[in-house]
Amino acid sequence: MKKIILSFLSSLKLTITLLIIIAVASILGTIIPQQYEGGESFRHLGPGLVKVFNSLQLFDMYHSVWFIILMGLLSLNLIVCSLNRLPASWKLFSNIPSPDRSKPFENLPPDRVLLIEKNRNEVIDSVENLLTRKYKRIRRKDTASTTFFYGEKGAYSNFGVYIIHLSILIVITGAIIGSLLGFNAFVNIAEGESTSTVHLGRQKGIKKLDFTVRCDKFSIAYYDNGMPKEYRSNLSFLKNNNVILQGPLLVNHPITFNGIRFYQANYGSIPGGQANITVKKGNDEGTTIKVKQKDSFFLKEKDAKVKILRIEENLMSMGPAVLISIQTPESNMRFWVFKNIEKIRDSIPGLFKKVPKFNPGLFKPYYFKLNRIESKYYTGLQLSHDPGVSIVAIGSFFVILGLFITFFSSHKRLWVRVDDQEGKSRISVGATSNKDPVGLKRETEHLLRHFSSMG
Amino acid sequence: MIINTTILSWVTFIYFGSAIFYIFKMVTGKEFWGSLASIIAFIGLIAHTFGLILRWFESYKMGIGHAPLSNLYESLIFFSWTIVLLYLIIEWRIKSRNLGAFVVPFAFFSMAFASFSPNVNARIQPLIPALQSNWLISHVITCFFGYAALTIACGLGFMYLLKGLEKGERPRLFFRFLPGREIVDELTYHSVVIGFIFLTLGIITGSVWAYSAWGSYWSWDPKETWSLITWLIYAAMLHSRFVRGWRGKRMAIMSIIGFASVLFTYFGVNYLPGLHSYF
Ligand code: HEM
Repeated sequence: MKKIILSFLSSLKLTITLLIIIAVASILGTIIPQQYEGGESFRHLGPGLVKVFNSLQLFDMYHSVWFIILMGLLSLNLIVCSLNRLPASWKLFSNIPSPDRSKPFENLPPDRVLLIEKNRNEVIDSVENLLTRKYKRIRRKDTASTTFFYGEKGAYSNFGVYIIHLSILIVITGAIIGSLLGFNAFVNIAEGESTSTVHLGRQKGIKKLDFTVRCDKFSIAYYDNGMPKEYRSNLSFLKNNNVILQGPLLVNHPITFNGIRFYQANYGSIPGGQANITVKKGNDEGTTIKVKQKDSFFLKEKDAKVKILRIEENLMSMGPAVLISIQTPESNMRFWVFKNIEKIRDSIPGLFKKVPKFNPGLFKPYYFKLNRIESKYYTGLQLSHDPGVSIVAIGSFFVILGLFITFFSSHKRLWVRVDDQEGKSRISVGATSNKDPVGLKRETEHLLRHFSSMG
Repeated sequence: MIINTTILSWVTFIYFGSAIFYIFKMVTGKEFWGSLASIIAFIGLIAHTFGLILRWFESYKMGIGHAPLSNLYESLIFFSWTIVLLYLIIEWRIKSRNLGAFVVPFAFFSMAFASFSPNVNARIQPLIPALQSNWLISHVITCFFGYAALTIACGLGFMYLLKGLEKGERPRLFFRFLPGREIVDELTYHSVVIGFIFLTLGIITGSVWAYSAWGSYWSWDPKETWSLITWLIYAAMLHSRFVRGWRGKRMAIMSIIGFASVLFTYFGVNYLPGLHSYF
């Protein structure tokens, strides 16, 4: 029984099957909306299907029990395989074959054999020199008429695969540590305000930090064409009301405090910004006042009560606007005051006839002018604490290293035999490699050229 | 139109010409067409490189300087550039021009899509905050070299399958001009290895970028997930070769399936529900 399980776990069929199942499951995960995208998007599936999907945890697939089991099986498969094969690879690495083997010289093509016009003793020293320079773990054996050499290089190449597989396990370990011990959270903080509670991702409630974050200011810079150039939050981190760290938070430039990384993730404006408006009468300078939503004031001459109903950052893509209502004993009117009213009027001829509500001079003889809206922003911060990151990084580095070793190095073994041949010497070169036959050929030819230049 | 886009749309036609001549070469077996195709492709590559550099300069002149790797247009142009560059290197190394007919058309399609699709905006745009990262540049470069190598593997896969259509003892038509199956198989394997290494590097650099921009090196959003799927497909392909010794037709088919997954990672993902609705 134990044997069956082990051979199941060490089979490459299992590996390939698992790789394919995980790939297919991941495809499902990109088609079925996942939980963190909010519950809205899968209403249309119908309640029956939703129930089935829910019980299979398909809405949070990558954290579901069965996905984790698949990953666990893959890791186990990897471990068992590696342990199974390691002794053989180790033997290949540590056992140095004897130099006087005959197998490497069987069926040697004629161009791997040279005849040199010098006797053996003159030749072997330079052969040995060349081999020691180019190869490692040289072995030599002398008999009455023959000297044998063995040399090799790139023995480490047999371990490339283990490095890859082990590093993948390290990456998985780091990811598990991160998901068990780390957290993701977000929080919105209005300018000037501070908080020490944040919302955990994936609907896990709230978390209290042991320090306080304050947003001193949020600002956006734009390019000339109106695209955003920079989002910047000036943050202060406080402990016991003392500012410990202060700094600008930009996208792609997170700030780390107390082991928690803060990211600029979002922003928005808070309703109830202030509008700066001027009320003119005829050609006078007018009076400028700042108002908030629901503020009201009186125009004494007309016995009119002016009330600010709404303040809009960008009404119907025509820019900032405020909605004003004016009540007098005789009448009651509402109209919009746009900041860019001149431009809007120029682009739509006869605007005020068509839409009297857009006329800021509707309440004669007064004329309202919106100078600007001073909005208040909130900044949206993403928080993350992930103690597994450095492990994942180390694992990734070694995956790459292992890939290079596996694919760009090879274990080359070389046997050279120098025979006495009536005062001359015959040199034969036999070579094997675990991969890269082309490189092996190039190298033996190079060696043979060197040998033939000795004679 | 700015000069660089004019040059780049001319490059599209140059690659078209080159692809046609490579096909002539394949069908007639005449080396003349092959040489012509190579020369034209090389001229195209030089103009292409010049166009990319010019675009870089122009962005600096506009005061929003950045490497031309930041939107769909620029990535398509760069994709095509990596395909032709890698292809010409391979052609020079293996001293055979048969593969051109299967690869250069991809470079042409990518250019044509970039230059003439109404959905692709060719203007030089400034970088939004999320894209202002050096990791992004290394991410794009590694990914597209990987995609280019996998494109070549796919071309080789088609070549292998086409070769498989020939029947009988003495191959007729142009089949006899195609290189032997073992060579094609070996080349496919090497291209997949190169592609796989770059793909791995691309995923890792992408994660580093995500870690500095979004607060998580991996968040299972569709693009990330599809890059993993692609990676798994090629990993399965390589393992079936190492350990099970699969060769030939199966490898050819898998290189085509893998490439379909690459294309989906690149384009198709935009049609799936996304997690990152970012600024
Ligand atoms: C980075 C990508 C990977 C590469 C380049 C790679 C490379 C290899 C190679 C070359 C072998 C054959 C060893 C030999 O026969 O000498 C192998 C075997 C194997 N690989 Fe991978 N591998 C990779 C990723 C993975 C992954 C993700 C898994 C899955 C968990 C995996 C699981 C296995 C298993 C189970 C074997 C079989 C070992 C055996 O038959 O004894 N590998 N791999």
